[in-house]
Formats: sequence, C-alpha cells, structure tokens
Amino acid sequence: MKMSRRKIIDILCSSWMLACLSFVLLIPLIMLLGLVLKSLPILESQSVSDLFFNSMWSPTEGNYGFATFIISSCMVTALSFIFAGPICLLSAIYLTQYAQKRLLILMQPVIDILAGIPSVVYGVWGILVIVPMISQYISPLFGVQSSGYSILAGGVVLAVMSIPFILSLIIEVFNNIPLELKEASLSVGATRWETIKFVILPKGFSGIMAAFGLGVSKAFGETIAVLMVVGNVSQIPTDLFSAGYPLPALIANNYGEMMSIPQYESVLMLAALILFMIVIIFNFFARLAVFHSEVS
Amino acid sequence: MSSQQSRNFLTYLNFYFFLFFIICLIPNCKKNTNKSSSSTKTTISISGAFALYPLTVKWAEEFNKIYPNIRIDISAGGAGKGMTDALAGMVDLGMFSRAITKVEKDRGMWYIAVTKDAVLPTISAHNPYLQELKLTGLRKDDLHSIFISGKLGDWGSALGITHDQAIHVYTRSDACGAAGTWAEYLGGVQENLKGIGIFGDPGLADAVKKDPLGIGYNNTIYIYRQDTKQKYDGLEVIPIDINENGLVDIDENFYGNMDQIIEAIGTGKYPSPPARELYFVAKEKPSSGNVITFLKWVLQDGQKYVLEAGYVPLKNTRISEELSKLAGN
Repeated sequence: MKMSRRKIIDILCSSWMLACLSFVLLIPLIMLLGLVLKSLPILESQSVSDLFFNSMWSPTEGNYGFATFIISSCMVTALSFIFAGPICLLSAIYLTQYAQKRLLILMQPVIDILAGIPSVVYGVWGILVIVPMISQYISPLFGVQSSGYSILAGGVVLAVMSIPFILSLIIEVFNNIPLELKEASLSVGATRWETIKFVILPKGFSGIMAAFGLGVSKAFGETIAVLMVVGNVSQIPTDLFSAGYPLPALIANNYGEMMSIPQYESVLMLAALILFMIVIIFNFFARLAVFHSEVS
Repeated sequence: MSSQQSRNFLTYLNFYFFLFFIICLIPNCKKNTNKSSSSTKTTISISGAFALYPLTVKWAEEFNKIYPNIRIDISAGGAGKGMTDALAGMVDLGMFSRAITKVEKDRGMWYIAVTKDAVLPTISAHNPYLQELKLTGLRKDDLHSIFISGKLGDWGSALGITHDQAIHVYTRSDACGAAGTWAEYLGGVQENLKGIGIFGDPGLADAVKKDPLGIGYNNTIYIYRQDTKQKYDGLEVIPIDINENGLVDIDENFYGNMDQIIEAIGTGKYPSPPARELYFVAKEKPSSGNVITFLKWVLQDGQKYVLEAGYVPLKNTRISEELSKLAGN
C-alpha cells in the first residue's frame, strides 16, 4: 500500500514537471510563430531590402525603413558593452583573485540589489543625472552642443544596468576554475598577474565571452530605461551626442498607434521579430561559448 | 532528517504546481462569468491620455462618494495606449485626446466627448529671449518652421533679431493626443514633428523647463498648477500671435494664469486646434450599466468639477448631443 502511494506521488511529480517544462519550451516557439504570422502582411507588400536598408520612416505615407532603428540599437548596445565589459572583467578579476573572501560575500548582495532595481528607476536616474551631465559638462568638452538626450546617455544607462548581470556571470566563471591550476602556476614562480594572464583568463575565456554575449543580448532588448534618455529621433545618429531611436523604443512608443494606421501592427510585429531574432542569435553564440567552456 | 525535508519540499512543490494549474484555468472561468453578468461588474477600468488623467482621477473620487461600490481603475499612458487598450477590450474606457481619424471611425470605435482643453507651446522660464517672446509672440508660420519644416533653427531669426542661439526642439516620443493635436494645428501628423522625443507629458514639461533654449508643447493641465492656478515654476508659455500683426495684443494675452487660458479656450479666442475636446472611447457602445452610469454622471453632475480641475466644461448643446449617444440603455 505504502509502496503504491509513493509510486503515485513519484509519477505525479514527474508528470507535473514534464508538463511545466514543455510549457516553458513551447513559449518561445509560440511567440516566434505569432510574430511571423503577424508580420507576414508587411513582408508580402514591401520588399525585404527596402524594410531593412531604407532609413525613411513615415508610416502615414507607407515608408517603413528599419535601418535607423537597427543602427541605433547596435550603437547603444555596443557603447554599453564598451563601458561595461572592461569594468566587469576587471572587477571580477579583483574580487576573485585579489580581494579577501569577505569582500566577495559583501559584494554579492550589492550585485543582487543592482540587478533587482526596476529599469524605469534606471531611466529616471538617467534623466536626472546622466542627461544633464552630458549636456552641461561632457558635450562642451568635445565642442558639441547636445541636449543630453543621446546615444551616449542610452549607452551609459544601459552599461550600468548590465554591469550586475555580466559581473555575476564572470565571477561564477572564475570561481569554477580549479584552484589547483592557480596553485600550480604560482608554485612554478609566476606572479599573480602572470597567473591571471596565462592561466585564469585563457581557461575562462569562453565563459567570459558567454557572459558578454548574454549581457549584450539583454542590453539589446532593454526598453524603457533607454527610451527615456535616448531622444527617440528617427535619424541615423551621426555621433554619440545625437539622439537615436532603438528598436525596442520604437515598439513601446508606437504600440499606441497600432490601431490608427493600416499595416502598422504588422510593421511593429516585424520590428519585434527582428529584435527576437537578433537576441536569439546572440544567445545562441553565447550558449555555444558556454558549451565550449564546459567541454574544455 | 534530510529525506524528510526533501519529501516535504516535494509536497510543497506539488502543491505549487497544482496552484499554478488552477490559476491557469481561472481566466477561462472569469470570461464566462463576465459575459453572463457584465451589468453587475463593480470595476470600471480606464487607461490612456495624460491630458485627461488628472480630471478622470478627480471624477473617480467624486463619483465614488455617491457610488462607493463601483471601483474605478485609472492609468495614464498616452492617448494611443487608451485607443489600443479600448479596441483590444483590455479596458472599459480609453481616455483620448485628439481628433478621431477616419481609420479609427472605420474600425467602429465608440466615443464620447467629456471636456475640453488645449495644447500650448512651452519654453523654459530661463529662456534668454523670454521678454521679446512675450512681447511679439510667435505666428503659426514660425511655429511650423520650428516644429515641422525645421527652417527656423535659431531664436534670433524667429524673433527677427541678430542672435544665433539654436532652438532645441522637444516633442513627445509616445503616440499621444497632445502631439497629434499640435501637429494638426501646424498642418501635419505626429511623425512630422521634429525634435528630441521625450516620453510622457510631465517628462516633456521637465525637459523644456531644464533647457533654456528648448521649446516644446504641453497640455494646459501640465503647465498650470491645479491648486494655485499659476504656471509651474520654470515653465513659460509662448503667446501665439493669432492675428499675425507681430505683437501680442491685449486680447491675445491670456496666458497669465489657468483661469484666463480656460476662458480663452471656452470662448474660442484660443484657436482650435490646438484647443480640442477630450474623449472617452470604447470598442463599442458600452453595455455595462456601471460604465453608462459613470458616463452619464460625468456629463451631468461631473461637469461642475471640470473648471476647478483646470479644464473647460462642454457647452450645454454639446452635452445633450453626447448624452443622446448614451440613450437607449
């Protein structure tokens, strides 16, 4: 009797878990399918090269060029990566190789808090601090007049947002490198820096790349914080101080017009599809790197 | 001990999965009950235009004093969101703040005018040309050259004097009624408006306030304070030179406080657009008794809160027109 009860519980447990897992696995597929179906009308009526390489955006006249948005997105993301990448890598090295264990324990909740702050708060912080700073101090340094609402502001806010994310991943990577490797290197007379350079970094290389890749794909899709500081002008940004208009902001801003202009819904769904695909591609390569780091 | 713990844990896990499953089922049940008893629904959900948001909050407050069992949920997110939410059936009423386009009418949407306000061109109180601007105002053509054609790039040539400080144009990034109405006044649509796009009405006011060379546009309710009727600190209005004689005449100068501008909108001295009616919109004529009760109350008793909240009450003829849309229930 007891045996059979345990069996039943066992079966129940596994079936629940399987059901949940298949649900999770199905979500991206369903989303992808929905986006593709919704964006078919626009793909049929306009040529793909027009949609991707044209920078004219005037929906009421039927011009839907995504070029400016894709370029803006790439610029903001690249900028955030340039800021966040080195900061994360260096602090992770310090925290795991140089600092006392206590500091790492102290840092963990700080990182968690940073990661947990809602993105709209980062956006408000960007408007209150970063935007005025750029317009009053940074852009005059370069002899440019800027309102502060710019690609640069978007990049900075995004960098700060992705730091906790990338940092905790890289710390994880370094903590997983066997201590013996480090000890062996030190025991043959290598300095700390040599150990880091020739042992730790090569060993963790693919893991670090994976962390960067995941960070970038997260940054690429970030919406509201960027939208609040980036200026939202549909032009190809000429420099870091001019305003840009990333893809997620396009969707969030114009979600409201969806019902008033024909084809608009389809266009916005296509924008979402592009975003989705780019993030998947980034994720794919990041995962590939994770896979390599685990195999080697 | 540890096997005991892990068993407990598994039981909990099972319980949560069960709960999750139940929650997944709930929306389906809810849909069914909604259909059968929509008239007894006690919540009215409203979303949309920033312009109408403060007044709707006021209305909800007063309405609740009389009908305490009807709850009203309000969120602001721009007119476009109100329209989309209403058409998608996510809310009972959308707040909407620009003229309704043909496409929207063709989709069969239902709308009812509830009050009036205006969009005014705004600048920072620290604008170096504030005094000149208050004296001469800007003509519609000037505003068109600033916001749409982009021909007027500096404050000097806008005023006909020799200075060349660039005009920083700000606009709304989100699909909204203020931008739609402002663009309509200048002969365009929202996407024609140049400038840095800022999210939300309060955000735009803040950006203009901070930039001495900035120019933008705001709904009256985000320019004048509801309590003191004076302008928010740091924000100023550019007078529109309506008769285009190069001067702000006495009867064109009604921007001093909220009462003056409201009167000017009400009497039609301030042109329309950029003055415009504000609407509640819905996918179809509301069938819920509570929504109808609320709308009728808004058009009758609710109108007495309109002035104090900083809006322009509808004329009696308009009110009876709009009330007739509600008749038949």
